[in-house]
Amino acid sequence: MSEGFHELTVLGTREEIGGAAKTVMFDVPQALSDRFQWQAGQHLSLRFTIDGKEVRRSYSISNSPHMPQPLQVTVKRVSGGLVSNHINDTVGTGDSVEVMPPFGQFYLKPNRNLRRTHYFFAAGSGITPLFAMLHSVLLAEPWSDVRLLYGNQEADSILFRDKLAVLTKDHAGRLALRHVLSRPSMWSGFEYWRRGRIDADAIADFINELPPYAQDAQYYICGPGGMNKAVRESLTSLDVPAERIHAESYGAAEDALSEVTGMAATAQIQLSGQTHSVQIDAGQTVLEASLNSGISPPYSCQSGVCGACRGTLVSGEAKMRARMALSNEDMAASQVLACQALPQTPELTLKFE
Amino acid sequence: MTQNSSAAVFHNLPVDAYTSQDWFDREQRDIFSKTWTYAGFMEDVPESGHYITVQAGLNSIFIVMGRDRRLRAFHNICRHRGTQLIRAVGKTQKALTCPYHDWTYDLEGNLVSVPEEDKEFGQVDKSCLGLKPAAVDIWKGMLWVHPDPDAGSIMTWFGDVDDKLGPHEPERLIEYPEARTSYEVKANWKIVVENYIDVYHLSHLHSNTLQMYDHAKAEYQFVGPHFVFWEPPVSEFAKDQDKKLTMPRVIPEDQSGAWVPMLFPGIGIGASEDAWSTFVITPLAPDLTRVETRTRVADASPWEFTKQSMRSSGFWSSFGLRGKYEAHDASAEDDPMASGDFSKEDIYACEQQQKSLQSPYFEVGPASAGERPVLEHQLVVKRFLEGAS
Repeated sequence: MSEGFHELTVLGTREEIGGAAKTVMFDVPQALSDRFQWQAGQHLSLRFTIDGKEVRRSYSISNSPHMPQPLQVTVKRVSGGLVSNHINDTVGTGDSVEVMPPFGQFYLKPNRNLRRTHYFFAAGSGITPLFAMLHSVLLAEPWSDVRLLYGNQEADSILFRDKLAVLTKDHAGRLALRHVLSRPSMWSGFEYWRRGRIDADAIADFINELPPYAQDAQYYICGPGGMNKAVRESLTSLDVPAERIHAESYGAAEDALSEVTGMAATAQIQLSGQTHSVQIDAGQTVLEASLNSGISPPYSCQSGVCGACRGTLVSGEAKMRARMALSNEDMAASQVLACQALPQTPELTLKFE
Repeated sequence: MTQNSSAAVFHNLPVDAYTSQDWFDREQRDIFSKTWTYAGFMEDVPESGHYITVQAGLNSIFIVMGRDRRLRAFHNICRHRGTQLIRAVGKTQKALTCPYHDWTYDLEGNLVSVPEEDKEFGQVDKSCLGLKPAAVDIWKGMLWVHPDPDAGSIMTWFGDVDDKLGPHEPERLIEYPEARTSYEVKANWKIVVENYIDVYHLSHLHSNTLQMYDHAKAEYQFVGPHFVFWEPPVSEFAKDQDKKLTMPRVIPEDQSGAWVPMLFPGIGIGASEDAWSTFVITPLAPDLTRVETRTRVADASPWEFTKQSMRSSGFWSSFGLRGKYEAHDASAEDDPMASGDFSKEDIYACEQQQKSLQSPYFEVGPASAGERPVLEHQLVVKRFLEGAS
């Protein structure tokens, strides 16, 4: 075991959307229950060894801490995805999985006294953190409402479809749901709100149809690829203030700069009071090179989301492919994410706290 | 026994509280500027770019809806000369402007343009000249504002009475515009509130105007600063009630009755089986108060209303609402005591009450059980003013 990972036993699993996704429930022993406290929207990092190689992935926790249920993640198969398919194919009851305690800045902490209108924009498996969040609101923020705009390809690929239908019925008046399908099947009798994507028109119509009642409106976005950016732009064009918009990317990063390249460099890595000299090849990230050199700075999601590998650039320059875990203030303070950082100078010094 | 009016008390408050400018000013500052103020019905600001202004104690507050359909509230004070002229303009209604010198703000209140800035000012640091925000929310189909942008959740103020006002869903009802009234009462606002929550007077002043409800079975209490009240219909009115309601029913039968809360400060709701009304009390002077009423009814067709009216007319002609006094006892042709209109009866009682407070011989008698809410409201007012000092 290394930094932060704990062996948890799988209590049970459940197939979702006909085997295209799987929910994995974990038994958190009493001794770890404090460390494994979470807020709806946060995720877990899982570590597996597949074909002799260590791999880690972060998955959103799909239930709310306010539900009488064990901690669980829901993992959708990614075409060709190493870990998502491994989980769907092999993980079963009684297995032991290495899990890092919950983390993440994209969360909704309910407050019994607040009365808010929570707008959720989800596409595909981006529903998972929002599914947890909407339970937190319904169960622990009694004055507040939820409006969910949910995009999928077709009716049969809608994660949590039946559960959402029941919730919408049980909490009529508090939860409103609108389905958007990009490729609805001719043969499906499923009733959806509109065909297409969650684009500017859909968002404007959605808000016009379901305007905020409680005026403290908050907007949460979670979807793949460019969705977050597009939804954020649509909301901004409707004058939604930036501080009310909360987003998390799924799959490819929102503002990932895949064209960012790095040069070969020598890095001085300051970690736990020691300084290590690390050779970085062109195109290698600071984290990759460090791990290859046998030093282990903290890290987790390897996608710029979680912030576990955050360090401070003391000298030299580096560019990041993605940096969702860093605010503009963090950037101004020379913080970098080792898992995304590519050297731009032949020498640099990076310090981990 | 004679008394000096400055030493006289009206139960828990000095008589001054009802007559002096000093009390009025303190209430404006410490009650009406520090609580949520009713600002209208939610449909008063129906579309993006629409706006209203409302007086909240000492503050003029401007409410405008953005294109995200969310309301914003600002103090209606241009940051230039302080003029209360702010309005929303432009085709997209994205700009708030003061016509005095055309200073313009965006919907977040940021100052975005100052005409002839270079020539007139050299440079203006616009970043610290944004409109001052206030808080706004919707509750029970009504708009509410608070002068303090950090007032917190409206539910910390109304949460405890949210489920005690009656089963009405005002959002599902529609306004009946003809029922809208606005009138002035020559009395202190607390006299008007005290009249509203005086349970003892219902069987007496309104013996022939509100006798369809069973005042002896009224259930009422203060919940924090707010008063909640319910009373059932008398058996004659309750039996086959659907044939006796003048308009289509809006609440379930098992919750029939009069639901008549008074939210602090001075926001009354009067609701029954077929209507839901607001009764908003605004102090204008120590001895002058404005009352504005608006009514919402079932969202039903005109035919449904006609049908219900025809159906119920027989009951009401025999049940008989009439003046407290018969014509032969009336003091004049327009004697409110012979009007058969409970509002006129109340206004008359309030104004006559206010007059007596000026008398050096004024002395208050014992309060009945049904007048306990009156005494309690006086304590709420007292607590607010003491808490502020």
